[in-house]
Amino acid sequence: MTSPIDIEGGGASVVVDGAPGPETKSEPVKLAGRSPGQLMWLRFKRDRTGVICAVVVIGYFVVALLAPLLVKLSGTDPYTLYGQDPTYADKPVLDEFGLPLGYLGGVSGDHWFGVEPQYGRDLYAMLLYGMRTSLYMALGITVLIMVTGILIGLIGGYFGGRTDYWIGRGTDFFLSFPQQLFFIAFMPVVTSFFVNPREETPTYFRALAMLIVLWLLGWMGMARLVRSTVLSLREREFVEAAKVSGASPWRIVRKEILPNVVTPILVQFTYQLPSTILSIAFLSFAGVGFVEPTPDWGRLFAAGARYAEQDPAFMFFPGVALVIFVLCFNLLGDSVRDAFDPKSGR
Amino acid sequence: MMSHRARGARAVVIAIAAGSLALTGCSKNEGGKSGRDSKKDQKEAAVQSKAVTYVDAAGSTGPAKDVPGAKPGGTITIYQEAGLSHLDPAQIYVSDAGQVANLLFRRLTQFQEDDKGNVSVVGDLATDSGKSSDGGKTWTFTLKDGIKDENGNPITSADVRHTVERQYAKFIFDGPTYLQTWLSGADYRKALPGGGFDGKHLPASVLDTPDDKTVVFHFDQARPDLPQTLAMAGYAVVPAKGDTKEGYEKKPVATGPYKIAENKPGKTLKMVKNTNWDPKTDSVRHQYVDGFTIQFGVTESTQTKRLIADKGENRNAIQLTNGVEATQIQDVVNNPEASKRTVKGYQPYVMTLAFNLDRVKDKKVREAITYAVNSKSLIAGEGGAYGGDVAPNYFAPTLPGYEASYDPYGRLKTPQGNIAKAKETLKDVPAGEKKIVFAYPNSEAGQKRKVAIEDALTKVGIDVVAKEVDSASYYEQIGKLDNPYDAYITGWGQDWPSPGTVVTPIYDGTQVFDGSANYSHVKDPKVDALIKKALTQNPTDAAKTWKEAHHYLLENVIPAAPLWYTKQFQISGSNVGGARYGSVSSLIDINRLYLKS
Repeated sequence: MTSPIDIEGGGASVVVDGAPGPETKSEPVKLAGRSPGQLMWLRFKRDRTGVICAVVVIGYFVVALLAPLLVKLSGTDPYTLYGQDPTYADKPVLDEFGLPLGYLGGVSGDHWFGVEPQYGRDLYAMLLYGMRTSLYMALGITVLIMVTGILIGLIGGYFGGRTDYWIGRGTDFFLSFPQQLFFIAFMPVVTSFFVNPREETPTYFRALAMLIVLWLLGWMGMARLVRSTVLSLREREFVEAAKVSGASPWRIVRKEILPNVVTPILVQFTYQLPSTILSIAFLSFAGVGFVEPTPDWGRLFAAGARYAEQDPAFMFFPGVALVIFVLCFNLLGDSVRDAFDPKSGR
Repeated sequence: MMSHRARGARAVVIAIAAGSLALTGCSKNEGGKSGRDSKKDQKEAAVQSKAVTYVDAAGSTGPAKDVPGAKPGGTITIYQEAGLSHLDPAQIYVSDAGQVANLLFRRLTQFQEDDKGNVSVVGDLATDSGKSSDGGKTWTFTLKDGIKDENGNPITSADVRHTVERQYAKFIFDGPTYLQTWLSGADYRKALPGGGFDGKHLPASVLDTPDDKTVVFHFDQARPDLPQTLAMAGYAVVPAKGDTKEGYEKKPVATGPYKIAENKPGKTLKMVKNTNWDPKTDSVRHQYVDGFTIQFGVTESTQTKRLIADKGENRNAIQLTNGVEATQIQDVVNNPEASKRTVKGYQPYVMTLAFNLDRVKDKKVREAITYAVNSKSLIAGEGGAYGGDVAPNYFAPTLPGYEASYDPYGRLKTPQGNIAKAKETLKDVPAGEKKIVFAYPNSEAGQKRKVAIEDALTKVGIDVVAKEVDSASYYEQIGKLDNPYDAYITGWGQDWPSPGTVVTPIYDGTQVFDGSANYSHVKDPKVDALIKKALTQNPTDAAKTWKEAHHYLLENVIPAAPLWYTKQFQISGSNVGGARYGSVSSLIDINRLYLKS
């Protein structure tokens, strides 16, 4: 860990925002004062990979958000069974085995990414809607996990002693739950408790249940990571200096410690988001997450694996989209970290 | 920064390489014809649906006619995905154990098939298929000479009596119940709570064994189907000596051409020749190979891949009850060499969308749904033309009395659903009755089926509420009499080639109870009367009565919407000889197999 009081060539403290820095020296030599945020932004802009990846990742979120508009362009939707619906009988898309006709899994003017085997649903529309479901679910869950983990880790690590002990035992308690098994066992019970057996389980209910369970059982890793970092920071000189000068614990946590744990948080975030997408996909697969026909990116990819030999294109589009996304997301995370803390890079 | 960029570039190269790998697998799909003509299939199945004949003593004497080109020796490997449900014969009702039972256990009678697929009933342990008297109320069987179990103990009429009586015991709960209910009524367990183990036996007025070789059954009404009932694996003989009750599941005593050498449940089951089986007493079974080894836990997909590749040990391998995996069907069909090694035919199952008649009371709604359902999209999930065929009515092509052209709802013309007709039927139905709660097993396949049903019914204006049910307990949940659902997909197949084993269990009003197969809760006095009448009639008259009941059910009651007939498509290794489709088991005929080298 780079010491935060190492002052970079730029002259500003890297992280100690608001601490007495070079800008207080009112020398005639005009040194443009830059906040750490500005410095980070400057460095980030110089990193071309990072910028490209940022554009791609933002592009994914925008595309996912605009899915209903984008499928209007192709004139398809993710729910119509183009291969089985008698209304579309004049445009056959499947052969007798239920596999797509034509090249690359049935790519055509109507179906830009081809169609799904068996039912002939439009892959382009399924992928866009699936990305929307998966990305925003995963984003929501990951942000909740991060915020909770950071908060609990900071409190435990900074206050130490009894507080830390009890928070630590609480963390252990939650860690001991097998997350996915718990969910599989728990979900039908919750459903039967809240949903009338003659009414359909609403999709928002499934989303909410997933959000809550994945959140409650997912924050522990983050909390432990933050706690250990904070434990070592707590004893550092700059924290003690702040204490001596009478800063409140809240201010010390916010202004002195938190900026120093940004690096592990970012690393954890970039790894948590794709893995949450996969967790959601697994739950869908185990029958306790989203069910057909709600499009789901992870399930689309898993379903593609079944047809990997007969119709590889069915896995190709969702697969490539997933690979590019995860790759860019990780590279972006690296770049942002480097920008925050150039010395921690290789 | 340099190292960073280099790493990013490398990752992009890897992504492109992975993509091109996938691309090489692509070529244009011109829409290969499956070459499956369902009319031709149904003609082939027509032999299956012929009524069986009962054969006399001459036809029941062994040895069985040799399979042309058969050679002795070698061991056949059998692949199966899940472990066997049971090995105690009395518990066997499911085809996986039933297929194994064909090698291990003998019954009083058994089915014999000729090369054309004609089925007859011959004597197995009995000298013939049984003699009836008293208008079919009394049946007499005489045991053959020289029949022994694997330990060399001769099988006597006392063993047959024991076989029947132990079915009354509590630890037998999964097997067929035809014989017991015919002998002692629906509450049969009360007639002999000890199952014969405590020295108490059924009275001679019900089951009589006047000497060591003779067994006499007395019924309160004519039971013309008895020889076929006794041919079920569930009525295979259990010698009194060596019956360990619950423990019999692990080590049953074999009477057939093979016996169990090693049984690791869920892993392997090794069978070797039973030297005490005398081919001269058996007119159906052969003992060509030295043994069979079943490997459990091999997924259907893996089995198919191995058998298509046909290398090494897989050349000697067959599938037990699994078939060619749905997604790989075209790989087999388009490969002439692999295609030659397959057996195919109809399974006895008719898949239907059963309505809960206690809830869906408006006949118009049931009629509309029967018009609207999309059989084709459901069949696509089974592998297309090789996985199933559109069902226009409730009788499978394997059932005597099957009518290929009986199609009151025009299902054959519009297998994807007749939307206009369905909408018209629903015109005057109030909105409140158009809500249908559809239950489906929460598995990948179940969810897919749900999409097809939901899509088809929503189109005609039905408000579908889809409820997921834990897939392991699906049949248990929908079998509850007060289940909260309106419709569910169920399948049923005959126990022997007679409509009595189809109409009775699933449409008889007296069978409406928790866990019964009458999932629609049909309670119709006319149906009940017809069933009662048909069960006592001779096969020719009974066929007419069954036909009347079938037509009345489909046109006036509509307890279910017929969806599709299931099909069997199995592949075996190239060294396996004598493979043919067995009409009775609807699987590869396991008793004829030999190894070519």
